[in-house]
Amino acid sequence: MALLEVDNLVKDFGGLRANDGISFQLEPGELLGLIGPNGAGKTTLFNCIAGKHPVTSGKIVFDGEDITALRAPEVARRGLARTFQVYAASGDLTVRENVMVGCFMRTPSRRKAGEKADTILADLNLMAAADQHVSELPVAAQKKVTMATALGTQPKLLLLDEVAAGLNPGEIEEIMASIRHIHHQLGVTVILIEHVMELVMRTSDRLIVLDYGRKIAEGLPDEIARDPQVIKAYLGDRYVKEHGGEVG
Amino acid sequence: MEALKNAFDFSDQPRLDMTIAGAVGTLFLIFPLLPLSAFALATMIQFFIFSLYGMGWNTIGGYGGQVDLGKAQYVGIGAYTTAVLLIRWDIPFWFSMPIGVVFAVTWSFIIGYPLFRLKGHYFAIATIATSLVLKDLFEVWEFVGAARGLEISPIEYVPPDFLRLIFKEDIYYYYVIFVFFLAGLLFLNWFRKSRLGYQLRAIKDNEDVARSLGINVHWAKIKTYAIATAYVSVVGSFHACYIKAIEPEDTMSLDISILIALMAMLGGAGSLWGPIIGAGILIPLKSYLKEWLGGMSGLAGMDLILYAVIIMVISAKEPRGVWGIVERIRRRKRT
Repeated sequence: MALLEVDNLVKDFGGLRANDGISFQLEPGELLGLIGPNGAGKTTLFNCIAGKHPVTSGKIVFDGEDITALRAPEVARRGLARTFQVYAASGDLTVRENVMVGCFMRTPSRRKAGEKADTILADLNLMAAADQHVSELPVAAQKKVTMATALGTQPKLLLLDEVAAGLNPGEIEEIMASIRHIHHQLGVTVILIEHVMELVMRTSDRLIVLDYGRKIAEGLPDEIARDPQVIKAYLGDRYVKEHGGEVG
Repeated sequence: MEALKNAFDFSDQPRLDMTIAGAVGTLFLIFPLLPLSAFALATMIQFFIFSLYGMGWNTIGGYGGQVDLGKAQYVGIGAYTTAVLLIRWDIPFWFSMPIGVVFAVTWSFIIGYPLFRLKGHYFAIATIATSLVLKDLFEVWEFVGAARGLEISPIEYVPPDFLRLIFKEDIYYYYVIFVFFLAGLLFLNWFRKSRLGYQLRAIKDNEDVARSLGINVHWAKIKTYAIATAYVSVVGSFHACYIKAIEPEDTMSLDISILIALMAMLGGAGSLWGPIIGAGILIPLKSYLKEWLGGMSGLAGMDLILYAVIIMVISAKEPRGVWGIVERIRRRKRT
């Protein structure tokens, strides 16, 4: 049975159709990459799935349950966590305390939340920074803290929104290692929105491509890399005509 | 059990801070025994009263970032409940105080539910409005003495009446409110490290992120508001027994609400010691200014001018108040 089923999802903002009839399925244990040019509707899709935006029409089934009408906190409690693109993490709290906020979703006990947070911090190599304030950390570590906080809710599915944006190659390697760890060792199913192509291509089992709110392609990473429609979406009509549809 | 342990656990505080706190606490303990004026003792009682108001404000206003400018309505509910019950039916403080809390918290739910749909300035303004409306209602409500207020008649409760909290000497009030002060501090210490406390701090930072972590933002705010209300109502009840004459104008006025918020912000909103520091600065200042300038009618508004200056300085220089300065110095030393 699929872990997540999105069926004909439509999201309108006034006259703008941000998601236009998107359907896909996600199996447990998969790592799905979600790509597309700026404004393609990727983050909107995340927001709809995670209950931040109510959908205009369509259906979302998570773990056998229809979650279409649920709001963000209820979706989170069913085991679907997410990170945010711009948000780093709370500057007022230390790294451990940030992760504890996530852990508190499953336990009211401070001691248990603290222990769980420590496990996650150890998993993501953040233990050395545990007592620092998030604002004192480099961006890459801040991004990892947001992932750790989401993991604190003990999700089955984790939606990662551009965790590698703005990082240097070394930091991207570090983030990739963390994502792989979450996926393989912790057994969390992941959907990844990413602009850093190298990261998505190398990490994902499967890719979905959005453009102007529609799903234009779906398949294995190397199939996607050759797909003329995808190339057109990224590089424009003229490029495809001149180069015969092959990425150089 | 775990909650109790957490309330007494100050281990995350620097040792220096705890040493200072211990020293100041000891000074508080022996303060009434020092050869000081009755005025100094009364000022200290006011300091404890406003520290507790500030601690209550700090839960929702500091940790939660919801600027509340309507705390006076809960002072009024607590004070009036205790006064009415004592005067009409001779119900002692220890019974009327929890009843006051029930009334105040109920009222906080009624107005909190719609008010927490509002954000930022709109929320602050709405809390002022509800507080003023309640004050106006009390001013025309004959049952509670309308604008004349209520007076707890000077029955000669000698020896000291701990049940009704009616004393002749201020020293008893001092130690009662000091115990409340310590209890309030321990509760705040528990609260800031509780699940709700952490969730609230996440809400203050970013409500969307908080929701994505399974937090019911609206409900968390309402719950915290109820806690803040309980603090204020308990102390309001105490205030009634201590002052013995209450009227809407001085228990429920906007001045009180603003002073509570201002003190907490001056000391440092969202920190454990902030409201205490704020009260420690403003209350003596206010008392002694009044004492010195009281005779000069032309200078009657001096304290208000002073508040205005403080608000401007805090918002321009250090939004995290005195405690923010302490932390900044500390951080600079570490690096």
